[in-house]
Amino acid sequence: MHFHQILLFIIHKISGQRSENAPFYLLKGKKSGQTIQDVTYFQLHAFFSILPQLSKEDYDTAITELYKEQFIELKESTVHITDKGISAITQQKNVLLNGWQYRGKEHVFWKRLDLAVQTLSQFHANDKKFVPNQKDIDTQQFVKDYLIQHNFRQFNLSKEMKHELHLLLENPSLDDLHRTFFVYRLSGFNTIGLTWEQLARYHKLSELDAKIIFLECLHTMLDNISREASPLLYSLAKNIRIETPLTDSAFKTNSLLEKGYSLEQIADLRKLKINTIEDHVIEIVSANKSFPISTFISKEQVYEILHLSSELQTKKLTEIKNRLPEVSYFQVRLALTRSEQLHE
Amino acid sequence: MSKLNEILQKKFGHISFREGQKEIIEQIINGKDVIAILPTGMGKSLLYQLPAYMKEGTVIIVSPLLSLMQDQVEQLKILGEKRVVAINSFLPFQERELAFRHLADFKFIFTSPEMLQNEQFNRALKKLSIAYVVADEAHCISQWGFDFRPDYLRISNWLQSLNKVNVVALTATATKDVVEDIKKTLRMNNPFEFIHSLDRPAIAYEVVEVDNQQEKLSWILGRVTSTEGPGIIYTQSRKKTEVYAAFLREKGISVAYYHAKMEQSDRILIQQQFQQGHLEWICATNAFGMGIHKDNIRQIIHDHIPTSVAGYMQEVGRAARDGDQAIASLLYTSTDVEQTFYVSMQDFPEEQDIQIAFKPEYAEVEQAETTTRILKYWKERLNEQDTIQLFKQIKQKKWQDIQKFYSMIQNDICLRQQLLHYFDQPLLEKPIHCCSKCKLDVPSILGKRMKNRNDQVEMNWKKRLHTLLPL
Repeated sequence: MHFHQILLFIIHKISGQRSENAPFYLLKGKKSGQTIQDVTYFQLHAFFSILPQLSKEDYDTAITELYKEQFIELKESTVHITDKGISAITQQKNVLLNGWQYRGKEHVFWKRLDLAVQTLSQFHANDKKFVPNQKDIDTQQFVKDYLIQHNFRQFNLSKEMKHELHLLLENPSLDDLHRTFFVYRLSGFNTIGLTWEQLARYHKLSELDAKIIFLECLHTMLDNISREASPLLYSLAKNIRIETPLTDSAFKTNSLLEKGYSLEQIADLRKLKINTIEDHVIEIVSANKSFPISTFISKEQVYEILHLSSELQTKKLTEIKNRLPEVSYFQVRLALTRSEQLHE
Repeated sequence: MSKLNEILQKKFGHISFREGQKEIIEQIINGKDVIAILPTGMGKSLLYQLPAYMKEGTVIIVSPLLSLMQDQVEQLKILGEKRVVAINSFLPFQERELAFRHLADFKFIFTSPEMLQNEQFNRALKKLSIAYVVADEAHCISQWGFDFRPDYLRISNWLQSLNKVNVVALTATATKDVVEDIKKTLRMNNPFEFIHSLDRPAIAYEVVEVDNQQEKLSWILGRVTSTEGPGIIYTQSRKKTEVYAAFLREKGISVAYYHAKMEQSDRILIQQQFQQGHLEWICATNAFGMGIHKDNIRQIIHDHIPTSVAGYMQEVGRAARDGDQAIASLLYTSTDVEQTFYVSMQDFPEEQDIQIAFKPEYAEVEQAETTTRILKYWKERLNEQDTIQLFKQIKQKKWQDIQKFYSMIQNDICLRQQLLHYFDQPLLEKPIHCCSKCKLDVPSILGKRMKNRNDQVEMNWKKRLHTLLPL
């Protein structure tokens, strides 16, 4: 999926509801209440935090191009997709990204894999003095322990790992471009990986597109690693999946909620603003479909809000809130978040 | 075989010492303070690494450049030394805690001048027996050096807080004034001084004046397509590294660009590709070079007048590490002096920046790191007027330096001799291939470029995976 396609896909979902910068924050993985709730409202889990390094400059360039092509337009400070834009969205077999699940941790896995392959390759060539591509100590320590634990000098780790990689790369959801980018980023004895620019140039793509293709492959492989079929990569991917996809701060709030504290008490205890705690609740509800919201909002209120939202064809908080003065913004957000989960 | 030679062979894999190395190492072992000036690529690291194996206790190496520190740690690890650690602000908190608790387990501790202010670190250090302290890139101590690090000056007080300990100062570039500065700051006691000639006889110098930027490009294209690399083209802007690389690629050269704005992972890949000979040429800003361990670089091309002689020497010094003939070429136009001055002043505080810095409500505003660092240092020591005055002087000196460099390349005097003279050194022996002012026969230095290697082979992921993991 190319960068422009991703932008169109996102803007299609948020059309008329959010500003032109909302996709930027989503792709960067901004940990604000707004962005996190939007992930659930608009079903954008795939794209959350996939490009943490994205520069505003590159983003603006791409958005400007979309305006120029008349795929999108700006009306009353929200971004809208045009009919031309909708028809430009190519039908995807399925979206291969899973940003919400990995949140950048996929790169930790990649670093481990890169260093493990490099080390095995060097040792196989009997050239044990080499400069590791991965410099950070956590990765080096992890891979060292991993290799020793797997008895890499005796056991045929190299062969087994290649076999597992092969199997995962053969996944029919992927195409050869994915596989090529993945394998050509790896390094080993006398075989150095290619830079994004080199990969992109060879395939006449932009660097951003090259990174996205690589990421699709990485996510798909991680999604399919299993203890049974790929035990070696499974243990290399230790602690990569986020079991409870909560930010640290929301996680703390969640623990206090479970102990029965009220929002005011938690705000007090943690010396945080009540708004922040409310953001956390939205995040928790987004992450956990069965989290009970009845203490914050009645069933009737949920119904009322959702009814209004579909009647007005909007997810804009102010518009809903203006028609229902007795509910709070927080309650509107809660209702909207829950409703999307019911549709999943 | 002497004990020293035995260690040299066993630990470092060298058969013999280079000029001066053994002498310096013996002085360190005998507990003398040492100040050594050696050109880049002459085995400076060995000087502090080898004596460690002849002495009890830990060696502390203070290094102002993080990338350099990382590279040295890596090199020691490659030599099989596991008892080595780098303690700097980039070390994650937990790792740092762990390292502090086990400091005595390390033989080599690399650290930054900033870190020496850390109380916890110092408490842990006090419990160690220290073999000696190494001040690497010691010229950074001097305020007159081209990359002055104010934090480095604090090493003086820090040394005083330790019990009597020997100090080894190493640098590749120092004028007489700088050497005096170093001695004073490091409280060196009648040190053994070793000043190696900074001359690199295997590097021939060539300066070429052209009329405009377009001519530089054609010159580079002509040179690179007709002669052998490997080589580095240094330029001043990121954009230009990309432009040069694109033009050269079109001519069938295997080339890449390199600058600081690239992702770290990509920078590492380019370094490795170059090092292993998969790339012939690199078009780079001055960000390229640290940690390149490539012996056979034959050409260094500058398309500009460098901002300092010391920086220039460092960059050309990356050629000919194997001792075989290489050439350093410098292209310039008559207006390049202004351009270079502009580049070197880009990060320099103007009078109004200094005035703002002295205002009470001043919070560190957006300024280049170097500026903030130096300004902060002087702000604590001088008043507003004197600071403004001082910066005027530094600026003026900078201008003079660049002018001086310009006249060096323009006049008719041997360039090698002038470069050495800048560092208060005499030229003892002129090599056959000296410089373009002494008469230089370039074709006899550079091999003729044979044919382009065809590296655009079809990508095949299965084959590639098999190459990586052949089993």
